[in-house]
Amino acid sequence: MFSKSPVHISIMLVTAIMGLMMALQFRVVNQMPAGIPTDRAKEIIAELKQVNREKENLTREIGDLEYKLEQLNRGKSEAMLALESELKKVRMSAGLVTVNGPGVEVVLDNPELQESQVPPELSVIQDQDLLSLVNELWGAGAEAISINGQRIVATSEIRLAAPFININTTRVVPPYQVLAIGNPETLAENLELPGGLLEYFRDMGFQVTVEKHDELTIPAYSPR
Amino acid sequence: MEKKSYYWIIVLVGLVMGIILALQFRVTSNIARNAPAVDRPIALARELEKARNSRDQLQKKVDELRERLDQAAASPELARVKEELDRAREQAGLTDLQGPGVEVTLNDSSNELQPGDNPNFYVLHDGDVLSIINELKAAGAKAISINGRRIITTTEVRCIGPTILVNKNQRLSPPFIISALGDPDTLANSLKMKSGVVDSLRVWGIQVDVKKVDKVVIPAYPGGLVFEYARPKN
Repeated sequence: MFSKSPVHISIMLVTAIMGLMMALQFRVVNQMPAGIPTDRAKEIIAELKQVNREKENLTREIGDLEYKLEQLNRGKSEAMLALESELKKVRMSAGLVTVNGPGVEVVLDNPELQESQVPPELSVIQDQDLLSLVNELWGAGAEAISINGQRIVATSEIRLAAPFININTTRVVPPYQVLAIGNPETLAENLELPGGLLEYFRDMGFQVTVEKHDELTIPAYSPR
Repeated sequence: MEKKSYYWIIVLVGLVMGIILALQFRVTSNIARNAPAVDRPIALARELEKARNSRDQLQKKVDELRERLDQAAASPELARVKEELDRAREQAGLTDLQGPGVEVTLNDSSNELQPGDNPNFYVLHDGDVLSIINELKAAGAKAISINGRRIITTTEVRCIGPTILVNKNQRLSPPFIISALGDPDTLANSLKMKSGVVDSLRVWGIQVDVKKVDKVVIPAYPGGLVFEYARPKN
């Protein structure tokens, strides 16, 4: 019995060490990435791109403002011109100026035939639909939007005032013609994404068309 | 004889240990080689932080330049244009505004999920935020912000996972606090209207709280004004 004991002890020691090592090994392997979380990286990259674009915009804005400031100190007539040009830019962002540019035209109308997936009383275009369409277009980088001639500005509402929809407290009726100035490809692609807004509209049975244009005119906001 | 088998065991142990050590070493060195890939999101996040900082610097510069422009334009001949500029800036959302208004706090549903329910129905969606904002605009709100981000003309509200993205790059997470400047009674009443926005959100258990306040502060929109596609019609 006694003579066998060193063998027992050594075997015990070996097993213990092996167990320890296996545990270590297991832990190390566990720490290895089980697939790198690419979506996290993707998300950050997208945000980084956006921040960089914003930086670019701000740099341009700084150049513009510095130039105007210089003009302002030069003389009276230059000062007037500089200030007026700044005014024009700000008025444009406020939607107070009629603008031209490339973009898309989306025409949305209530279903004609009752072929939709939903009962007819539900497949009527609601304020929510126009709201999400406009939201989608802003998200895709639209710079100006109008619906049936009503320019959408910061305070514009799109709201059901039964049985019509009011925009800027003006009644609009179907078909809704939505104009958006921006990159035509980007705007159209964003709407046409699989599972996107247009697919939803079509499932609802709405008649919807999207057309890219090289030149659109969007009227200025005119408060009533 | 017994001594001999004892040596054999030691030899065996040594061999096994050696193999395990070698394996361990190889795995560890493999990890070291792959390390940069593991850190990619972290490295990117650091990059993003840097970009954000430099953006904030630029933003400060723009604010400062606008202020200097205003000071330089203080002479009486320019007063008319200056006044128009101030008004346009207010409409474009480039100025801080404050006054009476309402504060709407939104949070995900407090309902307990029943088996078979779609959990998506009980979380706050961009559409909900949009309809609250829309309702406030319809009730005559002069200026609106969400979690301190000014809503301007081109502001979109989009769900990205559990967060909401506004002004293209501002990520917000619940609870969302929407502040609106305007007549507190009108704004609050239009939200609380029977079968109105608040009612329809409460069906899903979304937590909506509307508070009238004497003073809301709506910050200015901090971005640059750059148009790439639109140009003024002459």
